[in-house]
Order: sequence, then structure tokens, then C-alpha cells
Amino acid sequence: MIEIKDLHKSYKMGSNSLHVLKGINFTAEAGELVAIMGSSGSGKSTLLNILGMLDGADSGEYILDGVPIKDLTETKAAQYRNKFLGFVFQSFNLINYKSALENVALPLYYQKVARKERQEKALNYLDRVGLKEWATHLPSELSGGQKQRVAIARAMAAEPKVLLADEPTGALDSKTSYEVMDLIQKINDDGNTILVVTHEEDIAHMCKRIVHLKDGVIVEDKKIEQVRAEQYV
Amino acid sequence: MFDRDIWQEIFHTLKNNKLRTFLTGFSVGWAIFILVMLLASVNGMQNGFTNQFNDDATNTIFVRPGTTSKAYAGFEKDRRIQFENDDYQYIKQSFPKEIEQISARYFANTNARYKSETGSYPFQGVHADFQVIEKTIITKGRYFNNIDVLNKAKVAIIGRKVKEDLFNKEDAVGKFVEFNGLPFRIIGIFTDEGDDNAERRIYAPITTLQRNYGNTNNINQIALTYNSSYDLTEALEFSQRLEDIMKRRHKISPEDQAGINVWNYAEAFDNISSFSSVLNAISIGVGFLILIAGIVGIGNIMVFTIKERTKEIGVRKALGAMPKQIINLVLLESTFITALSGFIGLIFAWIILSLIGPTINTPAFSNPSVSLSTVITATIILIVAGVLAGLIPAIKAANVKPIVALSDK
Repeated sequence: MIEIKDLHKSYKMGSNSLHVLKGINFTAEAGELVAIMGSSGSGKSTLLNILGMLDGADSGEYILDGVPIKDLTETKAAQYRNKFLGFVFQSFNLINYKSALENVALPLYYQKVARKERQEKALNYLDRVGLKEWATHLPSELSGGQKQRVAIARAMAAEPKVLLADEPTGALDSKTSYEVMDLIQKINDDGNTILVVTHEEDIAHMCKRIVHLKDGVIVEDKKIEQVRAEQYV
Repeated sequence: MFDRDIWQEIFHTLKNNKLRTFLTGFSVGWAIFILVMLLASVNGMQNGFTNQFNDDATNTIFVRPGTTSKAYAGFEKDRRIQFENDDYQYIKQSFPKEIEQISARYFANTNARYKSETGSYPFQGVHADFQVIEKTIITKGRYFNNIDVLNKAKVAIIGRKVKEDLFNKEDAVGKFVEFNGLPFRIIGIFTDEGDDNAERRIYAPITTLQRNYGNTNNINQIALTYNSSYDLTEALEFSQRLEDIMKRRHKISPEDQAGINVWNYAEAFDNISSFSSVLNAISIGVGFLILIAGIVGIGNIMVFTIKERTKEIGVRKALGAMPKQIINLVLLESTFITALSGFIGLIFAWIILSLIGPTINTPAFSNPSVSLSTVITATIILIVAGVLAGLIPAIKAANVKPIVALSDK
């Protein structure tokens, strides 16, 4: 599903440049649930941004579902993001003046799905995250955990190949964190490929594989016994 | 453009920022208001001018002989030109299609006497057509006709002031008045809207005056009206032809400005309309400058809005919004504010004009109003202005990097 070969990325900071990713090699099969761990500055967010086509790499190869991702124009990147990727952010990034339902329907709007079908699909995904009754509520009327579940529903609504979650539990208490992880595990059970960036050990252990990043290189990549979040909920 | 979601977002933004929307909208609405009012004022001035010239038929030409200022065709300069009855006939026959009314004029003065009342008045001999040319209004009796002219009838029409002087309250029509000792029958009384002096005149058939005052064929002036459907160019072209044939007839150099004077009302109108088109241009210019200030205001606010919504735009891009779609959103929003507030300004101006416009009727300023074409032009300008105002902010928005927008954790 994801194939990365010798990925390099550096940022210019005034006169000197900061080498953030120093040759990353990484593959993820379809249906995997991978935790990307590392301390801040390890390059994990940069890696996720490149995987999410929010940022370009300096050198190296990136193949997503058999499609080489390179020389992206803004428009092309937007199309790929819409087609291949779903994003879940630490700060939810819901649009605050749109109801839960409208937020979930937004990626479908950019896929040019007809209004009615869009609403139905969005409601269906809201139902799957258990928030059907909250469809007409604004984000400000939802709790943190609910917001993140809406965000996950939004990411899933576009039916992406890969779900990228950047610290999805970073702004949540441990109980709601486990609820969110439970949801992510269930989505993964359905066969979706998910990458989770986190620095919390317990969250990482709820994935099936942990990749450790340190100073721009992968220092550890191991499959683990998944801890089900269900038991903590 | 007619996407419900886009409009929903626009309305939401406007609703959440009522004061900001009002202030920016106000600047554009105000600009359009001023523009329309300026144009209406120029229109009002134009109407005022037109009314003032309405006293005489506006398609009138007066042809007067003068004194040559150039030697030509064997004649020395400073030769006095004299028109005679033949000149009248000549013009009449030369332009049968162009001329509607034509009259020669013979100027004299007379001492009038009725019973014990006497007075001295200008006495003009004219043809029957002169009534239309001068727009003489007969209040009592009739104007003399072609038969009176042909018969050299001793009939006269007198102005309202003359009637008051000589007859006081007595009925004048049908009475005989002595002009320089000769009895004329009064057949009509006239008024003139133009001025009181015109009402101190006496008109009689030109043939009668020529016979009884010096037994002459001389005439002082020829007045005529031309085809009223002529536009300015045609009118000026016609008076030029008239001048040419009269100069040729009297052997006056074509360059001589003094030999013959052909005075066309249309020229005066031409001056007025060029004057008001300059005023028009100035008011459009001023209106535009004010409008530009309004547009800059809207552009400014849009830049600010984009700044505020950077994160949202980033999220949209992450969800797959294309730059084109973001540009669309911003442009539509700015165009909407501009057009809406402009329309409000337009409607306000229009209401004020239709309420007070018709009540204003002074010599220099009358019924200020705007034409439909002005309104349509203003609308197009507004929409273009809205797009222009949104353009830079929209490009700015499209260039928002999602990674930058989303980086604040």
C-alpha cells in the first residue's frame, strides 16, 4: 500500500539547513495499523506530512497504492489527497460553523458527490462512530472525544486508501483516548490501512506494529501483540 | 456558482461578522450612491438648460445680412449686403425638402394710436409661417394667414402689453388702430413665454409693411425651421449649405465670416451638450475614485478574512479542496458583498431621486434622474469591482499551504 525508499527532507533555517529525514525506508501493507513513534524533532510529523502530500520530499521515492507520488501541482495534490487519504488531527480541525453532518460531508463535496447522496453517506459514517443523534450539532456543542469521532467519520467518509492520524489522542484524556483508539481499531478490523503518529506508549501498543523514529532515521520497526482498547472503555 | 454549500458558507461568514460586513458594504454602497446622485444632478442641469431654450423652436435658423470683411469677385470689402424678397423665394425654392417653415422679417417702428391712447412700438412684417418659428401663442383672435400676406391686407396682431396700453380693458379684436396714420384692423392678440419685451411688439404681413413703409422689396432677416428629425450633424451640415448658397448668391468670399450671419440654435445646443458631457465625465471620474476606495476597503477586509480562516482553508485543502475551489469561494463572497451593498446604494439613490426629483423644477435644474443604462452600467461595474476586490485575497487564500495552516498544535 505504502512504499517509501530512501526519503530525505531538510528545512532551510536561515543560513544553515536542518536535515530532518535522513533516508527513510518503509513499507506498509494494506490493512496494517502502524504506530509511528518518536520524540519531538525525530521527524515523525514531517514523515506524516510527506505521506499526506502536505509537503514534498527532497529526494527518494514514494509510491501510494501503486501510484508514484512526485512532481505534484497544488491541484493534483488536492485530488490525490481527496482520493487516497483521510486525515485525523490532534486538534480535530472541524469547521466550527458547520454541523457534525456537514463536516463529515465536506470531503464528499470535494469529490463532487451529489448533495443528497453526500448527506446519506455522511449520516451513515456518523452512525458508525455512534454520533447519529449529534448530526445537527455544531462542534462547539460536542465534547473532545465526540469531536475526534466526528473527525474520524469525516476522514473515513471519503473512503480513503490510508487513514493518517497525527496524535489523534493528544488532546484527549485517557478514557476518551481509549474510546477513540477503540474506534480506530474497529475501522482497522474492517481492513483499512491506518498510520498513527503518537508519543504515548499505551496508544502505540494498541496498534499492530510500532515504528520508532530517532533523529530522522528508523531505529526500530517491530510487530507487536495488539492491546484491544475495548477492555478500557 | 449556484452551489448551495458555497452560499451557505458565504451567508455564514457575513452573519458572523455583521459589523465588518456592514462597514465594508457601506463604503461601496455609499460610492454608488454618490455616483448615481452625481449623474442625476448633471442630468438635472441638462434638463434645466433644455427647458430654457424651449421658448423658441429649437430647429430654428436665422439668416442675417452683414457687411463683407473681404474683397471678393471684383467687389471691395466693407460692402453692405441687402436681402430682398427674391432671397426669401430663393431659399424657399432651394430647400423644399429641408425647410418646414420660412418667413422673411422686415423691421420698423410705429406710433400707434387708438382713440386717445398712443404709444411707440417695434413693428415687424413677417410671413404667416413666423407664428410657428417664434412659437407665438394667440390668446384671442387669429394670426394672419397666407391670403392676408398675398393681399397686403392691413391687419395686425398685437402683443399683450400693447393691448393693455391702447385698449386697457376694452376688447381689441376687430378694432382699427392707426399705425403712423394708417388704419390697421387688429385680428389677434398674442403672448410670449420668453419675455415681456416680446409682448410689446406688433406683427403685420410683411407685404403690407413693405408697401406702406417706403415701398420696398428689402427684408432684414430670414427665419426658418428645418426638418425637426435632423440630428446635430445634419442640422449643422444644412446650415452650412444654406450659408454657402447665400454667399455665392451675394458674391461673398466663402471665408468671409461677416458678410452673412447664419445662426443655428443647434450650435448653442451643441455647446450645452458638450458642456454637460464634460460634467458627466467629471462626475463619473469622481464617482469612480470614491468607488475605488470602497473596493480597496473590501479587498482589505477579504485579506483579513483569509488570514482569520487560514486554518480552515488548510483543513479544506487537506480534505481535497482544489485551489480553484478556494478562489471561487473567496471571489464569490467579495462579489456578493460588493454587488449587494452597491445595489442597496443604487436603490437608495433611486428612491430619493424618484421622491424629490420630479418636485425640483428651477430654470437651471430640473427633474434629476438616471437612465436605465446608467443603472445597468453601474451594476456591471459593481460585479467587476467585486471580482477585483476579491482577486488578490483569493490568490492569497489559494496559496495557503495546508502544512503551515495546520501546524499550530
